[in-house]
Amino acid sequence: MNPEPFLQLDRVIHEKGRLAIMSLLAASPQLAFTEMRDTLNMTDGNLTAHMRTLQESGYVSVTKEFQGGRPLTTYSLTAQGRKAFATYINLLEQIVQQTKSTK
Amino acid sequence: MESNWAADNLRIIRTLMERSAIYRRALAPLMFLAGSLGTAAALIGWFARVESPRAFVGFWLAVAVLTIAGCFLLLRRQALRDAEPLWSTPTRRVLQALLPALAAGLICSTIALFKLGAAEQKTATIVGLFCLPLGWIVFYGCAVHAAGFFMPRGIRLFGWIFILGGCGLFALGSPEAPRPPHYAHGVMGLFFGALHLAYGIYLFCTEKRKNET
Repeated sequence: MNPEPFLQLDRVIHEKGRLAIMSLLAASPQLAFTEMRDTLNMTDGNLTAHMRTLQESGYVSVTKEFQGGRPLTTYSLTAQGRKAFATYINLLEQIVQQTKSTK
Repeated sequence: MESNWAADNLRIIRTLMERSAIYRRALAPLMFLAGSLGTAAALIGWFARVESPRAFVGFWLAVAVLTIAGCFLLLRRQALRDAEPLWSTPTRRVLQALLPALAAGLICSTIALFKLGAAEQKTATIVGLFCLPLGWIVFYGCAVHAAGFFMPRGIRLFGWIFILGGCGLFALGSPEAPRPPHYAHGVMGLFFGALHLAYGIYLFCTEKRKNET
């Protein structure tokens, strides 16, 4: 089996929690911190840590504003993040196809 | 082995993307509730002789409020059962899509409710018992069609049936029926009762099949 696609997998996205975050954001223009936390059943600290990693990689952008006097933090995928996510999915599909064809 | 986790990851991605973007609450119970209330209301309106245009509009507005309240309670129950937030992003999107057309229908009806009392009998009958019910059907179709962009496939077709049905009846014109209220209650019962029940049965069968696979 050609190990190439596996080696090309983006390690930032490949982590389970961050993959889930990227999947949610890929299907939605933007999501609030609390929505993602509740959907993914993550703790505040866990989600914050993953978001920081994704931000540092340039995959996610953050908007902080006030709504009804309360702070609201929303996240969305950057163009770079969307591209990286699409590449990741393509690689996964390649791995699946490769194994199917070798069986 | 390697392919298993890759396929699993793809499945997880798909599920999460759907959860984020598509409204997934079971619609069949909502359709059954709306259809039952619509059919019952049409029969009550017919046999209890809710015949004046103002009474007709007030009666069906009350039915709409009752149906919305019932649907809300059903949705809340589904959300609690699935341990998911009721006010999720997909729910918000669906409501935002439904709102403009439904608000337009509500505003027109409220204005009609106040103005019909002072209108001539013939005008009030045409507006209250012919134009408004067909307007509601078309507005409702537009609302459902807009919400259909955030829901599973099929719901937009349901919206189109209302839009085309309402416009078609409008094109046919007001029938020279001896009892216009019967026509109005009949049309409301057909669209908001029978059609919802039929769609509920269709959804019940397809959702059940999907759950079994």
